[in-house]
Amino acid sequence: MGEMGGSDRDTGMRSVAVALLLIGSILLAGCSDKGSPSNTLQVIAAGSLLAPFAEAEQEFEASHPGVDVRIEGHGSIQVIRQVTDLGRKADVIAVADESLIPDLMYRPMKNSSQNFTDWYQPISTNEMVIAYTNKSLYHEEIGPENWHRILSRPDVRVGFSNPMLDAAGYRSLMVLQLAEEEYSDPTLFETIVTDHFPSTITVSAEGTVTTISLPEIMRPSDDKVVIRDGSIYLLSLLTAGGIDYAIEYRSVAEGMNLSFIPLPASINLGSAEYADRYNDVTVVLGFPRFSSIGSERNGRPVVYAVTIPANAPNPELAREFIEFIASESAKGRPGWPASLEERAFL
Amino acid sequence: MRFHERFAEKNRRYSGNSLAVFWIPGMILVGIIVMALLVIAIPVLRNPEYLAGAASDPVVFQAFLVTFLAGFCAVGILAITGTPLAYALSRTDAPWKGIVETLVDIPLVLPHTVAGLMVYLLFMSRGLLGAPLGEIGLTFEDAFPGIVAAMVFVSIPYYVNAVREGFGRVPVQLENVARSLGASPIRAFVSVTLPLTTRHIMYGALLAWGRAIGEFAAVIMIAYFPVVISTLIYYRFNTGGIAESQAIAFLLILLCLVLFFVFRFLTRRAGVYDDRS
Repeated sequence: MGEMGGSDRDTGMRSVAVALLLIGSILLAGCSDKGSPSNTLQVIAAGSLLAPFAEAEQEFEASHPGVDVRIEGHGSIQVIRQVTDLGRKADVIAVADESLIPDLMYRPMKNSSQNFTDWYQPISTNEMVIAYTNKSLYHEEIGPENWHRILSRPDVRVGFSNPMLDAAGYRSLMVLQLAEEEYSDPTLFETIVTDHFPSTITVSAEGTVTTISLPEIMRPSDDKVVIRDGSIYLLSLLTAGGIDYAIEYRSVAEGMNLSFIPLPASINLGSAEYADRYNDVTVVLGFPRFSSIGSERNGRPVVYAVTIPANAPNPELAREFIEFIASESAKGRPGWPASLEERAFL
Repeated sequence: MRFHERFAEKNRRYSGNSLAVFWIPGMILVGIIVMALLVIAIPVLRNPEYLAGAASDPVVFQAFLVTFLAGFCAVGILAITGTPLAYALSRTDAPWKGIVETLVDIPLVLPHTVAGLMVYLLFMSRGLLGAPLGEIGLTFEDAFPGIVAAMVFVSIPYYVNAVREGFGRVPVQLENVARSLGASPIRAFVSVTLPLTTRHIMYGALLAWGRAIGEFAAVIMIAYFPVVISTLIYYRFNTGGIAESQAIAFLLILLCLVLFFVFRFLTRRAGVYDDRS
């Protein structure tokens, strides 16, 4: 070493100093981010709410100068897991199925006796439609009267999102099952769904209630039916022309400028009047062992709901945002999930 | 020769003294990787029932099998098509070389969902390539070949660039000597250039394989089934929560550590000649 050692140590020290500076500045950056909590609003929302919430973000920020609304989208179950499993702090949680909040959030937080939340507020509703494009097979023929026969044709490809991950997924199955009775077509569900999942999906009837049991991994045996994680992937496939028809929310189809066939209120899950009828279908999800979620989904009207987690950094602002969303939803804006009042929920 | 080796040896030891300057900042990166591994490993080892559950779950086993096999197939296809491409790129002076190089780099910069959509449009059963290939019985949608197609697409630049770098280091004179001794261009390539590039080929294959098995967005667009490991981790996070997905991620890390280690051990002597510079 000798003389060389001295200069070595100097350079060594210098790089230590540089490294410390670097770490310090990273930490500082992290702190300064948290330094001004009063004007950042973290919103985690279901995918089908992203487009309307993006509009709401602009309007809310315009009426609340200095406020930064940050919106992040996932499937509804994953929205909740961001808070309950990943321990992330969010101000507003918005999901496409109100029953998910009590199921997953009415339980104590880690190292606390307080629950993640003890309330939720229903804000809007939606209905299922059959979305398609002008590339879809038989798009010139399809209409509200014959859609179930077109979807049953062997060369037509139908897509829906994974029922295990996405509320729109199990709702699609419910719609198809309800359609059997509506159109007096007792093999409809079989032709479009069960036949393409040999012996893994079972349908059983008890009294008026039909129960659809799903396997853990829903892998179709042929290419008639296509399953994807959620709307984004499904609609990419639809617009690419890989599938012909997708069962989607009306607001999503409208927001994406897709053509769609509206369905009768008795099967579209969008009307409070028919709640009893919807309740005749139950989907049992094939969750694996350690699952923390109720695997039985009963047919019920689509109701979107919001809540503020108990550990939200900015609950007052969150409250204001929720009020804004609720009042805007009540107006029934285009591309937004529909007003609860308008659909006789209130 | 012996003198040369001793000189190299001495040289290496001497430079070791002043490496601290480089180690200290470098260790920040290594430290981050180690900490990232620990934050996954500690909760998993604290709740071993999840780990045992994942390790004995046939769905998990099948997902690993599919992922690793598809990764190997992707690397095989890259080796057959990417190696000649890398060689051609390293030896040509054609004016359009830059265009080809840029094209090869494209998958590197594309968001993976976009890459996935491109693969889907091309290979779906009504797609440009998917339709004719479907005629001869090769389907990509929700099938093993679809996974391989997506994996190949996203890992092209990793393989081609690493191997081209290797070919670039083989002196053209060596090939010319072989040619002057009567070897055909193919023979010169196979018996002179290729062996000297082994290490880079191995490295490119490892990079491409690692990239391939980690791919998520591009794969699920074309082939949601059979489930690859990244799809399963995401899926289990949603259905079962973080503990289940961490257990699978932990298994993935263990398997990859073993595979990478075995790989480094097996290839430690491979292609040492191109280490000379």
